[in-house]
Amino acid sequence: MRSRFWVKFVAATAVAASLLMSVSSSAQSGNQPSTNQKKQEIVLWGISLGPDSKGEDSVIRAFERLNPDYKVKLLGMGAGQMDPQKLMTSIVGNVAPDVIKQDRFTISDWASRGAFLSLDDYLKRDTGKDPLCPSPDQYYPSTWAEATYGGKVFAIPTGADNRILYWNKKVFRSKAKELTAAGLDPNRPPQTWNEVLAYSKVLTEFDKNGNLKRAGFMPNFGNSFLYMYAFQNNANFLSPDGRTCTMNTPEAREALEFMVKGYDIIGGYETAERFKSGFQGGENDCFATGQVVMKIDGDWILNNLARYAPDLDFAGAPPPVPDDRFYKRGRFVNEKETFVTWVGGFSYAIPRGARNTDGAWKLIKFMTSTEGRLIEYTAQAEWERQRGRVFMPRQLAQRIANEEAAKRFRPASPAYAQAVNTHTDMAKYSKIRPATMVGQLLWAEQVRAMEAACYKKSTPEKALKDAQTTVQRELDAFYSKEKRPIVDLKIPMYIGAITLVIFIATFVGIFKKANLGKLEKHEAKAAYWFVSPWVFGFLLLIIGPMVASLFFSFTQWDVLNEARWVGTKNYEDIFTTDWSMVSKALSNAAYLAGVGVPLGLFTGLSVALILNSAARGIRFYRTIFYMPSIVPVIGSAVLWTWVLTPDAGKGLINAYWNQTLTPWLNIPLPGWLTSAEWCKPALLVQGLWGAGGGMVLWLAGLKGVSTTLYEAASIDGADSTRQFWSITFPQLSPLVFFNMVMGFIGALQEFDRMYVMRPTLDGPIGPDDSMLTPVFLLFNNGFAYFKMGYASALAWFIFAIVLVVTFIQFKFKDRWVYTETK
Amino acid sequence: METTTPTSIAPGIIYALGTIAVWVAFFLILTVANALGAIIAKTPDSDPSRTRIRIATQTVSGILLFLSGVKTTHAFEKEGFKFPLTWFVMPWTAWVATFALIFSIIRLAQALTGITAAEKASAWKSCIIGVIIAAGMVYLYRLDEANKITILSGGIPMSLGKLLFFLALAVLAVQGMALTANSAKARGWGKLVVTQLTLIAGSVIFGIPFVFLLVTSFKEDIDMSSKNGIVWIPKVTDTVQYFNEDPSKKHYEVEFNGRTVEALVMKEVNGQYQMDTFKPMSIRGTTFFVDKDKVKEVPVNARVYTTEFNGKEITGFERENLEDGRKILRIMSPADQKGKEITVLPDKVTPVRHVGLRVQNYPEALDYMPPETYTGLVYLKNTLILVILGVIGTITGSSVVAYGFSRMKFPGREKLFTILLATMMLPGAVTLLPQFLIFRTLGWIDTLYPLWVPAFFGSAFNIFLLRQFFSQIPMELEDAAKIDGCSYFRTFSEIMIPQIKPALAVIAIWTFLGAWNNFMGPLIYINSPENMPLSYALQLFKGDRSNEPGLLMAFTSLTCIPVIALFFAAQKYFIEGVTLSGLGGR
Repeated sequence: MRSRFWVKFVAATAVAASLLMSVSSSAQSGNQPSTNQKKQEIVLWGISLGPDSKGEDSVIRAFERLNPDYKVKLLGMGAGQMDPQKLMTSIVGNVAPDVIKQDRFTISDWASRGAFLSLDDYLKRDTGKDPLCPSPDQYYPSTWAEATYGGKVFAIPTGADNRILYWNKKVFRSKAKELTAAGLDPNRPPQTWNEVLAYSKVLTEFDKNGNLKRAGFMPNFGNSFLYMYAFQNNANFLSPDGRTCTMNTPEAREALEFMVKGYDIIGGYETAERFKSGFQGGENDCFATGQVVMKIDGDWILNNLARYAPDLDFAGAPPPVPDDRFYKRGRFVNEKETFVTWVGGFSYAIPRGARNTDGAWKLIKFMTSTEGRLIEYTAQAEWERQRGRVFMPRQLAQRIANEEAAKRFRPASPAYAQAVNTHTDMAKYSKIRPATMVGQLLWAEQVRAMEAACYKKSTPEKALKDAQTTVQRELDAFYSKEKRPIVDLKIPMYIGAITLVIFIATFVGIFKKANLGKLEKHEAKAAYWFVSPWVFGFLLLIIGPMVASLFFSFTQWDVLNEARWVGTKNYEDIFTTDWSMVSKALSNAAYLAGVGVPLGLFTGLSVALILNSAARGIRFYRTIFYMPSIVPVIGSAVLWTWVLTPDAGKGLINAYWNQTLTPWLNIPLPGWLTSAEWCKPALLVQGLWGAGGGMVLWLAGLKGVSTTLYEAASIDGADSTRQFWSITFPQLSPLVFFNMVMGFIGALQEFDRMYVMRPTLDGPIGPDDSMLTPVFLLFNNGFAYFKMGYASALAWFIFAIVLVVTFIQFKFKDRWVYTETK
Repeated sequence: METTTPTSIAPGIIYALGTIAVWVAFFLILTVANALGAIIAKTPDSDPSRTRIRIATQTVSGILLFLSGVKTTHAFEKEGFKFPLTWFVMPWTAWVATFALIFSIIRLAQALTGITAAEKASAWKSCIIGVIIAAGMVYLYRLDEANKITILSGGIPMSLGKLLFFLALAVLAVQGMALTANSAKARGWGKLVVTQLTLIAGSVIFGIPFVFLLVTSFKEDIDMSSKNGIVWIPKVTDTVQYFNEDPSKKHYEVEFNGRTVEALVMKEVNGQYQMDTFKPMSIRGTTFFVDKDKVKEVPVNARVYTTEFNGKEITGFERENLEDGRKILRIMSPADQKGKEITVLPDKVTPVRHVGLRVQNYPEALDYMPPETYTGLVYLKNTLILVILGVIGTITGSSVVAYGFSRMKFPGREKLFTILLATMMLPGAVTLLPQFLIFRTLGWIDTLYPLWVPAFFGSAFNIFLLRQFFSQIPMELEDAAKIDGCSYFRTFSEIMIPQIKPALAVIAIWTFLGAWNNFMGPLIYINSPENMPLSYALQLFKGDRSNEPGLLMAFTSLTCIPVIALFFAAQKYFIEGVTLSGLGGR
């Protein structure tokens, strides 16, 4: 049997391997048509081709035609929401793309770390010589400013996405009576915060189970975030000199309080998130169907709306502002601008380490030029026209191209034209997020603060204070950097070398001292060869990295720049400025371990007990129960994301919940992964599915318990409960113990399924950070921001916890674990 | 619900008590039925007079409890009978306090009625501990002002017939249990039935996500969401093939970059067609020029719908799907209207469907893979490289080292082995960042090397495990080989290795699973699609196609199938693997 298995295994793998090798070799040879051999490749990240990027496709093809030496290779890499971790790893790993389409507000962040090339030299070289060369006066000033850092240009802006209020006129009319009764005009959109709340109150509808049927206004649905409301209330998240984070100001607090109020009207954030999870695309768009009556959004929604709801009766309006601003009272007495919104958008940059910078610059110039922009829009419009659709020109950062596009592609439908015009009009009153090296952190923290406050996990003040502390810590670290001494990164190498010498010397000493005979010497020498692979791996991949990691943990280092010695600051940060995050990660892990591990043990053990008493079918059932535990982790995570979908029409669990618990006890459907309250139970449920792995172990353990013990017990008159606690459990206790230890340590290091199952890619890890684990925190610090020093300190902190947990469990072991010798 | 305020706690508690009353009443009715059954069956050990008294008291108290329960829970109001249910929504502190209190009360009763002094003392002790725990929990509960207790009240709607049916079933079950209590043979049968039923129920719970995965991967989009719960039997829409008359909508098959694609003609330029690719999906939207004679028209698969038209039911296929969702149908039946076309609203048509599997989800999912991955084959290749090299590396590395540690003597062996055991405690997180820097120095970022090379250095856990195995092999075998003049390596490879094959098989399987599942490694080290393994590709696919569960589940199944196939082929080693070490995996 055994040998046959091996023969089969080896044969199968060999066949599979040779097949695949042949596929890949043919793939490689097929990859290089003779004509392409001389072409230089420009790798562009962030654009994925599809029906909505016809225009971009045409510009790139036009570029290739005009520059036959170049070939552009596109990689989506999750287009639009470019994962900073991927880009950073590629830059650090010297495999960066040549051009990156990057969200503009992050440019200064990357530039400050030296991750992007400054385009100044190219601009200086080409200005006046190349008509395609971009110049600042062609651009809306705020968009250009957003792409610069420290007086240098690091990216060329593309779009200018500002946000306006979209309101569904039809729903307003159908609710005219109620609106009028509440003293509101059904024929105009709300203009102030209090008005929008009042409108929302009238327009929102619930069903009898407390679920939303229609939401008047969801403060953060569409695309507004705390930023917009804060801007409207004249809050700035950063002091003018950029050195102080000012998130926790009365202005920002009022903005956040407004958002919380907005969610209260529609039944709270949980209810809103649950409602959102049922939204569909295409012709069932929630705004087109009137499920959401008012929302703040950008002009990218117009294309789809026009395609699926060309006759929709809606309008765009400036986003509602604080009442004081609107009526010019209080703080706003001297305010000139009544309406304010925010603008964002993308840009093209060249990462450091790009191989083909000249080609990259050529491509950027062409794509951002008026000519390039018009090629793009013409091609897209033509493609849409052929399919009988209207083309909605998006706002561009390049003024000349924008004005030309507005002329050429004005939508025929008055409603859509009005919406486009509103966007254009608001361009003048659009603020940008502060261009700072903490831009991404600031963004993530404002989302975090907003969630914490809207979930009522925290007051707006505390949420903003936590966020401010986190950002300030980063700012301080940046500005105090100069004061910290630069350290030579060869030091860990020296330490490593010294360790190595000591290690070898010790062994030579031991060897000499042992005073071996000839044969023994021969054997010892051979033995050293045998154990050498592990020793080599140990020195290179374990002890070396440990020494290095310990050293890094006292430094501040982002790999791209020199390292600075900061002493114990990183460890202090864990317990002070970053404690709110660290403690959250620890409490999540404690929950998963403290509830999940015993629950898993209990499930596994009870299944094993039942199975052990079954006479028939044990093999069959064992297979069924065991199988879930070998399903690949990512596969299981993807499957369970779908099983746990909150929408009762889609998610497996909620479909049946909706037919039983909801009608029986009026329990609203849980939001599972989308809700802060249910997120961790959802992870537990998914974890329990794999509990069958432990079952096999228990089964073996049970089979190992001698039957004579049971016979003796039943003669003494012990019933089955008694038998379990007096015989079975003590006999299994070493296994229980071992699994508890491993389970706890495992929970601290969980990462994969959290990474896959979290509902949003940026900002908090899971709703209100409920999926954040210690290792996830380490991963984000280490690989998304390359804070090598702090991440190393976190690693040692985790190690310390593992040691403590293990120690405690071993300490208590004697209390209840049965060992034969006793 | 959430609107419950502290003032409404009292009715909630009354409702809860009523619920308990109804449940207890039902339990009493069951025992009465049981006792009656015993009398009828004239079981020898029953004492008729005492039983009668018991029956009488239980019946009376049962009826009283039932009535009071029905009264407080309004179980008979409005729409028929509902079996009352109550649930307390409260924080864990409150739950622990409740259970601690219940526990104390039980122990208190035991303390009061206990016989021996020792028994009483221990009962008092645990009663007091329970009270202390409860008090502590109440204190914790009151620390957070946001804590509140909500009582949910409701019930399972039931018709009288349904209720009687369940009651009869319960009575039967109890009767069965009572009957089996009296004969050993019947007891065996009873046990068998109960365990089998439990196991089947358990298998259903554990198996259903699998079934859901497979069924979803074969479903059409319209079956993904349904108001009546999950669709378990997938159906497919009938299609007919036809050639579109509208030139701009004709589908053409054409060679592009060495592969056959399907495309539409956008326009004619200088005697060439400008084509717009729509299939495969991965290059959808790519436009290119082609000579006019290189294209071949292929039929369109049009969906078949029925609708009401002029009061008659008609069947037709969708000739065109308009932008606003309306459809142009070309009538197929009735025969007298065949060929005519009508435009209908989307909610007025029903697709003609039959039970079947939508297998196209699988090729379509692969269609979305980036072109440079050859419909995902490159992902599979990368995963297999990782798996094969990982398995080879781990087995050779670990067994060589384990042999050195277990069968050979050398100075410092114990010290080295202690270090090896200690490294098992080290979380991978500590070495994660420096290892990245090491591999960066080697220029190994965006290659597969960092993911399999370390396997060749052996892993502490496997070395530890194999050392145990080597130690169990009798020394004589080796000595014989040595006398024959075998070198150490030959002794190891030809004599020792065959002895530990089962252990190696288990380690091979673990390594296989580990390498197949590895996600964080590729996430950190791999950037380009050409080097991605399946696990990472699946995660990216999830991000791209989250709105198309059919495709997503199809790809998920594809990544899981090889593992499950291996499991069935080598189930013995999987199961053995867990038990082998007595430690159970990692």
